Amino acid sequence: MFVKKSVAMLLAGVAANVSGAGIALAQTAASAQTAAGTRIDNVASVTYTVNGTSQTTQSTTASFVVDRKVNFTVVTAQTGPTQVNLGEQNVFTTFRVTNLTNGTQDFLLDPDQLNLSLGLFPGSDNFDVTGLRAYVDSNNNGRYDPGVDTMTYIDELAPDASATVFVVGNVPDQAGAQYAYNSLHVIAAAGGQSGTQGARLVSTDLNLDGADGTVDIVFADDDSDGALLGDIARNGEGRAYSGWHVAVNNVALSVAKSARVISDGLGSPNPKAIPGAIVEYCLLVRNATLTTAANGVALRDAIPARTTYVPGSISIGTPGALGVTCVVNGSTEDDDADDAGETDGVTASFDGVTKAVTANVGTVSGGGSVAAAFRVKID
Amino acid sequence: MFRSLGPLLLTLAAATPALAGPLQVTSRVLAQVPQRAADGTMTVAMRPAARAVPGDRVVFELTFRNTGTQPLAGVVFDNPVPAGVAYRAPAPGSAAPEVSVDGRRFATIDALRVGDRPARADDVTHVRWRLARPLAAGAQGRLAFLAVLK
Repeated sequence: MFVKKSVAMLLAGVAANVSGAGIALAQTAASAQTAAGTRIDNVASVTYTVNGTSQTTQSTTASFVVDRKVNFTVVTAQTGPTQVNLGEQNVFTTFRVTNLTNGTQDFLLDPDQLNLSLGLFPGSDNFDVTGLRAYVDSNNNGRYDPGVDTMTYIDELAPDASATVFVVGNVPDQAGAQYAYNSLHVIAAAGGQSGTQGARLVSTDLNLDGADGTVDIVFADDDSDGALLGDIARNGEGRAYSGWHVAVNNVALSVAKSARVISDGLGSPNPKAIPGAIVEYCLLVRNATLTTAANGVALRDAIPARTTYVPGSISIGTPGALGVTCVVNGSTEDDDADDAGETDGVTASFDGVTKAVTANVGTVSGGGSVAAAFRVKID
Repeated sequence: MFRSLGPLLLTLAAATPALAGPLQVTSRVLAQVPQRAADGTMTVAMRPAARAVPGDRVVFELTFRNTGTQPLAGVVFDNPVPAGVAYRAPAPGSAAPEVSVDGRRFATIDALRVGDRPARADDVTHVRWRLARPLAAGAQGRLAFLAVLK
């Protein structure tokens, strides 16, 4: 505290003097600052006369090395949370790191999921993504490209240069998931070697003597998150926040049911619905929400009175031509409710007591449709 | 120029502090370090500049002493402002130097111009002191200016 206060006083004094000279140093761009490691030598030449004879001499040379004034910003480079869907892979939020240090350096990236709700978004944090990681936007297209954006630290960022960083994760298939907050924690690290992740910078001890020949590390970074507690000033670290939002919790799912007489037992080319005739019922599920898939879609339909379910007749698959075929390349489902042996991703069963057919058609993609067919015999 | 000569000069200075000639001039760079006095008031102490980052205020100081037996007349100290440093003002307790924006014409800052505008402290490239009176044998003194690290 003592040090901070005294620095503030000193700076205030500088500001007063500086304004008189018409210079604002606080706004000096990092690239205009003297680079860390620059050696500054001062030497004066002196002339004088001794009994009328001209002499010259030089002062000793006073030198010091400009130290590293570590300063950078990390900000959220997007408005609001990223809109995601359950089960979506490689969702990302975007951050921007700008180097304000008087030298080139690396930055370590430490993505974090917050379980506290920061009040940044309307809802509370109620889920976490899996596989949380952070990558640099290597090709600078502002979009996370899996397999392309693979750098997990910022390498050799020049003074005043910026890098875009993505915090990436996979959204779990978790019912009720709405908001997941995340943050990007950035740590200043030593630069100087391209392609090598530098070690975290450590502030040089203020009381260390004889450090004028070396480049000291002086942290000058601000508190990057203000009232929030994730960062403090002058620690060589920064933090910014963002999040993911499962915005669509409902899709426009519709089911159309149709019936078609397959045969009437008399071999008629145009079979009629008479006792003994086989009728195929077709349930067509449509997801009218283009961007979001509906998962775990289950259809349940009780067969009409005075009909008998045709065992093993349930089939699930791609819808066929309207009024001609219900299912194209449909699966064949057994009638029992024991789905342990099922491998095709869809299951179905017929309950002889409730006389109901259940078809678990799985995922209906955004804008897609799935059909389920079963047959009954008219008593 | 100075940069390449620097290590050599420094070595010489360390090994043979007494350069030839009766006038010995020592250059130092000091940083302002705030100190709290016992009564709670703040003062600024001067320490050798071990730590300096852009924006820091530093004092360039020349201490001189006539080690000879004869008085030295017309003593002129010419101190080019090092690269990376911007001149600000005479240091407290030091005579005000003449300054120059081109290394040729020396005057007070108010009397200098850069192009069409009055010169600013940032424009200063050279600092010069001229001793008005001869420096008696054994006499010594101190000259200094305030600068800021760019």
